[in-house]
Amino acid sequence: MVSRRALLRMSGAAAGLAAPRIARAAEKLVIIGHAVHRTAATSGPGGDVTEGWRRANNVEIEWLTFGVEATNERALKEANLAQGNADLVFLLDRYTGPQFTALFEDLVPWMARDPIPDFAEFPHGMLAAHRFGAIQAAMPFRHATHGLHVNRTFLAERGIATPPRTLDDTMAAIEKLSFTRDGGRVYGLVINMDDPSTPIDWVRAYGGDFITPDYKVVVDQPGAVRAMAAIRDLFRRNLMPRNVVNMKTEDVITFMQQGRGAMTNQPFNRTFNYNDAKASKFPGQFDVLPLPTGIDGKPIPAKTSVWAMAIPRNARRKELSWSLLRHLSLPESTVLEAMNGNGPVRPSAYADPRVMKVVPYAAAEAEALKSARLVVPGFANAAKAMDMFIEEMGAVLLGTKEPQAAMADLAGRVRPLLPA
Amino acid sequence: MVTPALSLLAVFLLLPSVYVAWLSGHASTYGQGAVFVGWQNYATIFADRAFWRALVNTVVVVHIVVYGELLLGLGLALLLAAPMRGKGMVIALLLAPYAITEASAMAMWRAMLEPDVGLINQALLGLGLEQIEWATERWTALLIASLVAIWHHLPFTFLILYSAVTTVPRELIEAAAIDGARPWQRFRHVTLWVIMPALLVAVLFRTIFAVRIFSEIWLLTEGGPARLTEVLSIYLYRATFKYHEFGSAAATGTIMLLLCMVVALPYLWRLYDRLVRHA
Repeated sequence: MVSRRALLRMSGAAAGLAAPRIARAAEKLVIIGHAVHRTAATSGPGGDVTEGWRRANNVEIEWLTFGVEATNERALKEANLAQGNADLVFLLDRYTGPQFTALFEDLVPWMARDPIPDFAEFPHGMLAAHRFGAIQAAMPFRHATHGLHVNRTFLAERGIATPPRTLDDTMAAIEKLSFTRDGGRVYGLVINMDDPSTPIDWVRAYGGDFITPDYKVVVDQPGAVRAMAAIRDLFRRNLMPRNVVNMKTEDVITFMQQGRGAMTNQPFNRTFNYNDAKASKFPGQFDVLPLPTGIDGKPIPAKTSVWAMAIPRNARRKELSWSLLRHLSLPESTVLEAMNGNGPVRPSAYADPRVMKVVPYAAAEAEALKSARLVVPGFANAAKAMDMFIEEMGAVLLGTKEPQAAMADLAGRVRPLLPA
Repeated sequence: MVTPALSLLAVFLLLPSVYVAWLSGHASTYGQGAVFVGWQNYATIFADRAFWRALVNTVVVVHIVVYGELLLGLGLALLLAAPMRGKGMVIALLLAPYAITEASAMAMWRAMLEPDVGLINQALLGLGLEQIEWATERWTALLIASLVAIWHHLPFTFLILYSAVTTVPRELIEAAAIDGARPWQRFRHVTLWVIMPALLVAVLFRTIFAVRIFSEIWLLTEGGPARLTEVLSIYLYRATFKYHEFGSAAATGTIMLLLCMVVALPYLWRLYDRLVRHA
C-alpha cells in the first residue's frame, strides 16, 4: 500500500519534472476568421507568414474559421462576453458599424506606441471602412475587389474575339453568350443576390449608386433605375438563371465551374476556383480582367470589400494580439500574403516581382483597385439597408414592381435608417 | 416530490421565457446595455409589412404541413394496421427520412429541384412540361418547402397514429360490424374515437413544431425572392443574427410563443376535456 507521505513525494517529483515543460509550453492565440484569412496567412507560394513570429514569441495559433456571416457574428459574440476566448478577430466592412466600436480596441493608441512600418501606404478608403469617428476599430488585412470573369471557351465558340470592354459590348456579349450547349443552358451573366455586392457593380455601370460615402441615398436617381430596368430585361429574356434571385456566392462558383455561366463579376481571386482542375469543367479557361467601362465611358468603380483585423476589448493577451496584427501588416508579410492569394492592402505589393509571377491578375486587380468602392459606407443599419435593396431588386425582377417605383420605395425605406 | 421537477421547469423554461419577455421591452445589441423602450419593438414589428407577410406564410405552411401530415400519417397507419406482407420493410422506409438531417435533406431536394439541371425539372422538361418555378414563385416555393417538411416529419406523426390504431380493440370493430356499421362508420365512430387522444397529441406537437419551421425554407430560398417566402422564424433569425436587434428578436419570439399558445389551446382543451373531465 502506498502511504500518504510517499504519494505526496511522488506527486511532488512529478510536478517538478513537469514544471520546466509547462514553462516552455507555447501560449495559444485564438483567431476568429474566414478560411481565406488562414490560407493567406499560412499556406501557398508565399509560405507560412506567421511561422517566424510564432517561433520568436513561442506562440501557437488556433484558427477558428467560419463562413462570411458567421465569422462576423462569432467575432461580435466573443467580443461581447465578459471574458472572451478570441485574441484577434476578422471583420468585414459591411457587417460592422459604429455601434460595435465599444467591443474592440481603438488601434490608434497601439499605432502610436508601436507603429506599423510604412503605414502611410495603406489606402485611406480601406482604413475608413473600419474607422468610426476617431476610432480605428480594425486594421485592413484583405480586400476583395471585383473583376469580370469570362469563360474563354465560350467566347471562342460564340465568335467573340476579345472580352467586352464597354457596357454596350458587355450587354451584347451577355446575349451572345446565352445559348444551349450539350443540351444544357449557358447563361451570359450570373450574379449572386444574397446581398448587393454584385448587383451594385451594374448599378454603378449605369452611373447610379445606392448610398454615397457621405450617406446620401441616390438609388432612386436615373442611373440606378436604368440599371434595374436593364437587369430585369436580361432576366426576362432568359439571359440570366431563372433562380438568380436566390443565388448565393457558392451557387455562382458552381455555375461557372459547371459551364452554366459565361461571365460574372466577382472578386479577382475567385479565378482560382473557376480554373480549379479538380472542380471545374473548364480548368484554365477563365480569364479575369477589370470591369468594362460604364455608360459614362469611365471604368466602372468595382465593388471592394475590406476584411480587417480587430482586437476584442476582452482579449487576454492584447500585446501579443497587436504584435501579430502588426506582423501580418508588415510590407514583406503583405507581399507573401498576396502570393498566397490575398488581396493586398498595400498597393506596392502588386509591383513586387514575386507577386507578379504567381498572381496572374495582379496588374488588373491593381488597376481595378484605383477606382474601387465599398458596397455601402458603414453605419448601424447597413445590414438592414442591404436586405431592403435585395428585396426591392427582387420585386423588380419578379415583375411585381416597376424599377422607378421599387427604387423610390427603397430610398424611402432606407433614408430613415441613415445616421443623421 | 414535485419540487425538483418544478425547479427544473423554472430554471429551463420559466426563467428564459421571463428574460425573453423582459428583453422584448428593450433595445439591445452587442456592446451596448439594454435600454427600456416599452412597447416600441412590438409597434415596429406590427408596422413592418415583412412581419405580416411572414405571419401569413407561417399560418399557410402550418396548415399544409399539419393537416397534410395528419391525413397521410393516418392513411398509412390504417393501411399498415391491417395484415400485409412486407409490412416491416414499408415501415422502415417510411421512417427513413427521420434519420436524415434537415440540412442534408434540403440539399438533396434543392439539387433535385435545381432549374434546368435538377432531376425533377429535367424529367418535367423531358415530358414537355414546364419547370417548377420555385425560385421565383412565392406559393410554389412555400408548397415545396411544406411538402419536404411533410416528407421529413411524417415518421413522427405516423408512429404516434400507427401505435394508436393498432391498440383499437378488435372486438369493438367487430361489434360495430355486426351491428351493421359500414367501414366509414366503423372508422368514424369507433377507430377515430379511440385514437382521438393520440391524434390530438400529434396535431398539438406538429403544430408547435411547424410554427417554428426554419431549415426547410431557409435552405431552399432563405426567405427569398424579395422576402416573399419568409416565415416568422426567418424573420426572427434576421433580427438576431443579421441585424443584432435582440429586443426586436425577443419580441418576435414572444409573438411566436403566443401564436403557438393560441393555436394549441383548443387542442389542449379538447385533450383535457377528453382525458380528464370525461375520463
